[in-house]
Amino acid sequence: MNANDVIESYVTDVAVRLPRKHRNDVAFELRALINEGLQDKAESTGRIVDAGMAVEFLQAFGRPADVAARYRPSLTIIDPADGYAFLRASVIGLVLIWGLGLLEFFQRPIGSGWDFLQALGQWWGAALIPSMWWPGVLVVGFGAASWVRRQSPQTSHWKPRAGDRINGGRTAMVMGLAGILCGLFVLIEPRWVLNVLFGGRAAPAAYEALSYTDTFLRRQGSLLFVLLTLNIPLMITVIVNGHWSVITRRIEIGLGLLTCAAMMWAVLDGPVFMARASDGLVKSLLVLITVFTLINYGIKLHRSVRPAPDRQGQY
Amino acid sequence: MGDADAFGKLELELRRGVVVLATLSQLRAPRYGYELRQALADKGMAIEEGTLYPLLRRLETQGLLKSEWNTEGGSPRRYYSLNADGRKLLKKLTESWQGMNHAMDRLLQEG
Repeated sequence: MNANDVIESYVTDVAVRLPRKHRNDVAFELRALINEGLQDKAESTGRIVDAGMAVEFLQAFGRPADVAARYRPSLTIIDPADGYAFLRASVIGLVLIWGLGLLEFFQRPIGSGWDFLQALGQWWGAALIPSMWWPGVLVVGFGAASWVRRQSPQTSHWKPRAGDRINGGRTAMVMGLAGILCGLFVLIEPRWVLNVLFGGRAAPAAYEALSYTDTFLRRQGSLLFVLLTLNIPLMITVIVNGHWSVITRRIEIGLGLLTCAAMMWAVLDGPVFMARASDGLVKSLLVLITVFTLINYGIKLHRSVRPAPDRQGQY
Repeated sequence: MGDADAFGKLELELRRGVVVLATLSQLRAPRYGYELRQALADKGMAIEEGTLYPLLRRLETQGLLKSEWNTEGGSPRRYYSLNADGRKLLKKLTESWQGMNHAMDRLLQEG
């Protein structure tokens, strides 16, 4: 390979990354400029241009991909300001998906090393590799948000928000209260749902499927009833006041955490329903509610700021 | 981060901020890439080829420069020069630079 081959190779590597309509013209100019620069270098150092010298010169010129990128306006898919948020959301989401996958595949009995390897292989193929949809969705989401901000900067202007405001206003809180009452209604007697929906004419198997076990009613059922009922005065207080206070927030978080603990106790302690299918379904729902509640509290904790001087930063 | 490392990065940022103005300032008359680079280097503003040549194309795409090939004589060369919009921008950027330079002089003298 002589110096000309080296230059041709470099120019092609740059030009191939450019839009087709500019490619040849840029390549023509770039080749001429590189030749001139190389000749000048050879004269100033008293050497003859050879392949080694060309490689050295072009390595200093920059990676073809970098040089080609400089020919075009910079393209940003995710705003640098969103970089950490994107990374955090990616990692949290992936850990969650992988963790749930682990729970699913390692719930089965593992009696030997081979069983373990088989479960690991299934987890790898069915949970880990397909989980890459999550970063993909985030790239599209963050990219779309960046694009909207660039197209309509006025939509992204910062606006103050009161920390004690009710999300969705009083209407949302009233709907939440109605949800709690429905939850209590179902908790007391889930078969009432069948009466309401089917006017008492549902199949006997459906009634059987929604029968609580005595153990659940005695242990977690009564506890969950108390915890859910305690939400009613709390929500009425917030609706009347029109905002959250420090105390009501603390009570809400405390009740939420206790409810999560009670739900997990119900999941782990034994069957909730007599029928296996409805038991599995309700336990999955309880796990899902707990996970979303804990994520919500985690986000609130992450977003909490208490201005205070850093003692290490004192001088 | 070491002192040398920090200095290198921050100096690079300073240089990035003035590369466009330096380039525009030398294109009142037509120049081709290598000639422009030499002119900048002779006046103390050496800019890497891999940065300068793409910049000329970008400025042309932005409608600030005009260019034409000269294939007469020796090797073919593409000559760039400011167009009307480029001259207006150079004037504005020069005023802005002089204002910042003046402010920085005062700030640094206070220190």
